[in-house]
Amino acid sequence: MATRTRLARLWPLSKPSALPLIRPYHSYDHPPPPGPFNPTESSILEAAIPHIPTHGFTHTTLSIGASDAGYIAASTNLFPNGAFSLVHYHLYTQRLALAKHQHIISPPPREGEKPIGIGGKVKALTWERLMGNKEIIHRWQEALALIAQPSHLPTAISELSSLSDEIWFLSGDTSVDTSWYTKRASLSAIYAATELFMTTDKSPNFDDTRDFLDRRFKDVQIVGGTMGSVTQWAGFTATAALNVLRSKGVRI
Amino acid sequence: MALYTSSKHAKFLATGLPIYDFLAPSLLQASRASLQIRHLTKAKRYHSAAASNEKHDKSPSQPSRNPRSGADAASNPPPLKKPLTQAQRDFLTSALRVNQAGELAATLIYAAQTPPIISSHPHLRPLMKHMYDQEATHFSTFNALMAKHRIRPTAMYPLWTLAASALGWGTAIMGREAAMACTEAVETEIGGHYNGQVRVLLEMAEQMEKNGDDIGDELKDLIETIRRIRDEELEHLDHAVEHDAKQAVPHELLTGVIRAGCKGAIWVSERV
Repeated sequence: MATRTRLARLWPLSKPSALPLIRPYHSYDHPPPPGPFNPTESSILEAAIPHIPTHGFTHTTLSIGASDAGYIAASTNLFPNGAFSLVHYHLYTQRLALAKHQHIISPPPREGEKPIGIGGKVKALTWERLMGNKEIIHRWQEALALIAQPSHLPTAISELSSLSDEIWFLSGDTSVDTSWYTKRASLSAIYAATELFMTTDKSPNFDDTRDFLDRRFKDVQIVGGTMGSVTQWAGFTATAALNVLRSKGVRI
Repeated sequence: MALYTSSKHAKFLATGLPIYDFLAPSLLQASRASLQIRHLTKAKRYHSAAASNEKHDKSPSQPSRNPRSGADAASNPPPLKKPLTQAQRDFLTSALRVNQAGELAATLIYAAQTPPIISSHPHLRPLMKHMYDQEATHFSTFNALMAKHRIRPTAMYPLWTLAASALGWGTAIMGREAAMACTEAVETEIGGHYNGQVRVLLEMAEQMEKNGDDIGDELKDLIETIRRIRDEELEHLDHAVEHDAKQAVPHELLTGVIRAGCKGAIWVSERV
């Protein structure tokens, strides 16, 4: 095993797959493995977050955050990705913050009211995640420019897929077939589109964004419903044809 | 690797030299997943080296842990349970994924075999129903586990659906013996596969116990579940042999091809 490790270390760059693209086994008995940031990094980034509305996703914000957290300004050297670390930290913390919305995830049962379904929870959680961008939305285009850089794209995409996985999981979805993929893909597409729309939204309380999000969900429902109906029809017809043939004595 | 890293590390500590991590940074760096940002301070490096020692718990001669200052130890008490290592998590992920895919295929094979078989041999109806029901229970067990542990299902799901239905239907058309030979081949592979998994899981549990970690009910239950399911699969194998599986006409060829297909499907499902 030592040989293998040393060999692997000869090409450190050949292992960029350190990204959590595959989200493995989520244990309830054992604590989760550490996240992408260590305590020092977290403290600097946390201190930097309040400065984003004024200074944007820039190196300046990082320096201010470092001095606020009690480190010298040069400690921004901790972040080889520079300002992208701010973006990553924002995406990461906002994703984890979704689990705090207990009133959506497990609402207290009310008399005479139908409990909110999985679809409703997905919608509500997506909206909450978008509202996590409220403070920094006028700076978000800078972040999108950073995300679009090829070296940062894998992290950003993996964060997006983790986000949609998190939303479906928190909503209580338990499907583990092909729809696992289609659900996450469609939610990621909806989220990315709505986030982009939100950067130019000037309406009070982001009403336009809300309408946009509702329309996107409706589109997906129509497409999904049509696909479901077609599949059901095809399945029924095939089974019926098979049974007719069997009733005629064909040995199939 | 653990031995390599830790003995080096221990030597450094014993000689009282500072750690020249700028000379050999990769030897001391933790293989932390999703390590995007390298950390540079010495304190952090100690921390991560300790983490990597914990991670590779296979090393027979546990080197003394890095000395920690009292304040550090007080502010960061060791957690009650350690996180599962990356290798353990990877194993559990691929194991549950491939098991779900296998049970999906088994359910579909029996579902496709049942109508042609019972139309020509009505006395096999209870047996087919019994085997199908057990497979359906296994399938739902693994579905629940996958959803609980947030594991991605295999990307080959639609392909396995088609292939398993075609296999079940095709062998059933070839006759009772061929269908039973198919069951025999599939269950032999599956039984061996589950056996291997149980072995690895027991090793993992033993390792954790030796290190004084709590295994947790989750893993204990998983081992029990896989054992039970393995026994039921092997019971199907016996049923198949009792019902003349060995008399299928090109018996060697048929079982050989099916077993090779199973192995290939297991290999693929463990990965994607």
